[in-house]
Amino acid sequence: MPTPYERPAPAPEGRAAATTATTTTAAASARPRRVYARPAEGRVIAGVSAGLAEHLGWPVRWVRIGFVLSCIPTGAGLVAYVFLWALSPQSRGGVIGGGITTIDPADPQAAARVPDPAKAKAASEERDATRVLLVGGVMVFVGLVVAAQSAGFNARLRILVPLLVVAVGAVIAWSQLDDAQRGRWLGNDSGTKRFSAARLVFGGILALAGLVIMATRGRSISAMWDIGAAVVAVLAGIALIAAPWMLRLWSDLRREQAELARATERADIAAHLHDSVLQTLALIQRKAQDPAAVVQLARAQERELRSWLYAAPTDPDVTLAAAVAEAAHEVEELHGIPVDVVSTGDRPLEDGGQALVRAVREALANACRHGEPPVSLYLEVGPAGVEAFVRDHGPGFDLDEVPEDRLGVRNSILGRMERHGGRARVRRLENGTEVSFALPPVTADAPEESHDHA
Amino acid sequence: MTTPERTVPRSRVRVVLVDDHRMFRSGVRAEIGELVDIVGEAPDVDSAVTVIRETRPAVVLLDVHLPGGNGNGGVDVLHGARGLETEDGQPVRFLALSVSDAAEDVIAVIRAGARGYVTKTINATDLVHAIRRVSDGDAVFSPRLAGFVLDAFGAAAGEIAEVDEELDRLSAREREVMRLIARGYQYKEVAKELFISVKTVETHVSSVLRKLQLSSRHELTAWAMGRRLL
Repeated sequence: MPTPYERPAPAPEGRAAATTATTTTAAASARPRRVYARPAEGRVIAGVSAGLAEHLGWPVRWVRIGFVLSCIPTGAGLVAYVFLWALSPQSRGGVIGGGITTIDPADPQAAARVPDPAKAKAASEERDATRVLLVGGVMVFVGLVVAAQSAGFNARLRILVPLLVVAVGAVIAWSQLDDAQRGRWLGNDSGTKRFSAARLVFGGILALAGLVIMATRGRSISAMWDIGAAVVAVLAGIALIAAPWMLRLWSDLRREQAELARATERADIAAHLHDSVLQTLALIQRKAQDPAAVVQLARAQERELRSWLYAAPTDPDVTLAAAVAEAAHEVEELHGIPVDVVSTGDRPLEDGGQALVRAVREALANACRHGEPPVSLYLEVGPAGVEAFVRDHGPGFDLDEVPEDRLGVRNSILGRMERHGGRARVRRLENGTEVSFALPPVTADAPEESHDHA
Repeated sequence: MTTPERTVPRSRVRVVLVDDHRMFRSGVRAEIGELVDIVGEAPDVDSAVTVIRETRPAVVLLDVHLPGGNGNGGVDVLHGARGLETEDGQPVRFLALSVSDAAEDVIAVIRAGARGYVTKTINATDLVHAIRRVSDGDAVFSPRLAGFVLDAFGAAAGEIAEVDEELDRLSAREREVMRLIARGYQYKEVAKELFISVKTVETHVSSVLRKLQLSSRHELTAWAMGRRLL
């Protein structure tokens, strides 16, 4: 195949260079050693021309024209193209710009690690896949025409063309199966999966067609049909024989995976129980003489286990309900008095919410110190704002009787709520005290979240 | 429950205890055995249905998680003992009892017909009150159940029924009652707060229970469907 373009780029050498280039730096020589690889972007078919142009330092347009011209008389350029395609690695993140690449030989992996915006990536992949299918279709057409033309008199093409078709089919089916693509191939997003499957089927049919053409060696169309049918029959037979075995293998694999997942889950549960429940039980045995401590331990453990079993993981730094519940748990732990927390609705934690959480904590602490259990807390977050109620069953107190110097209630509950646009009220009930809190709804222009803990 | 004729000693409520933990059963028996008449015990679904059919108690204290049956625990017992009546002609009523306060557990037993739901940490006095109330045909709502109801019916978000009969939303009064129960108020405190009688409070709570059992509201059915309870 006397084409000037296949000489300078022996593919195995290019691949070896690719592996060494990842470890050597650009400073090793004045002109960084160019690696022959097909860039992922700026390609028309498979990036062979672009890669070659980049490798040789020629304008990419001339390389492309050369390939096309060399294809016309004998198809040699096509063969060279396919060879280069099949044997050259795809570069990672190289960008072609008018024959000059911006790939950094010092760290070609770095570009690949930068996450692309998912949308643009998916769109470009779809474009790529369409192009590959389109080019493949043209190639099939050309291949069939050449095969029909040469059926009678050109023995060389009769072998060459089918071989070419087989090669193109195989390349289309498998060449893109590098490690990055394999993940997508196995189906991450449906769009690329569909294109991958289409490509695989298309390549397979192409390869099969090539094999059939090669086998017929220009005999009549009907003989070709017979052989085609025979090939299909043989393949079907193989599939029939292998299918039960494959199915069993597959189900075995699935079962093993499920068992593994179960075992992992069991191990997680065991580890958690060991760290929490068993430790608490040991502590309880040691503190058996102290009923209060035992109750407190059991209560804390119950709460922990309950949240682990039932609650979705919520971050107390993020939502109001989670922060209020967290405050209640802290008070409960501190005073050893159970606090029943009921909450409906939720919203992001902002400045007003922070103030509410602190005020509620203070009210709960007061209820535990001065009131009687049960202490309950109700939080309601709705479009009309936030309301919270802390209730105990103690003798109660009158705000007017609290001396001026006792700043607890007045400052840290009432004052704090007013500073944040809300209000708080202390009510003396027949049986206990209730502190109620209210916050206005978050206005549209208010920041959605706040990071500063005032 | 504070009206005189109810606190006057009357025939003790006949109770069947269904729980798969023997220690819990004996604990409850020791705590409330003096105040109610525990006529039977059962550790699983099938023996529970048998015992309930034989003894026909006024109230069944029913654990939500039980072995046996179709694997749905307390819900299976409720289905198995459906339509039973006591000797007085009252239906056999169920009070669910559980360690879990997960929403799906609550909704499952309530929709299967339980008249109330309390957690196992409840103290003896409150438990006896709850049993008596259920035996009188009232509903027992814990603060947590009230909070869940407010959530599920969108009441906290301001959805209010136009007419009381509407099944998918709470009326304004029902919402008030639920809010007070969620705040830890007893029925009589709710009554005092809203200037209504305890009986009216009980009516509202029973009406909420009915809505909870019959409503096809999206959140409720989604939960129930997701757990194959419907």
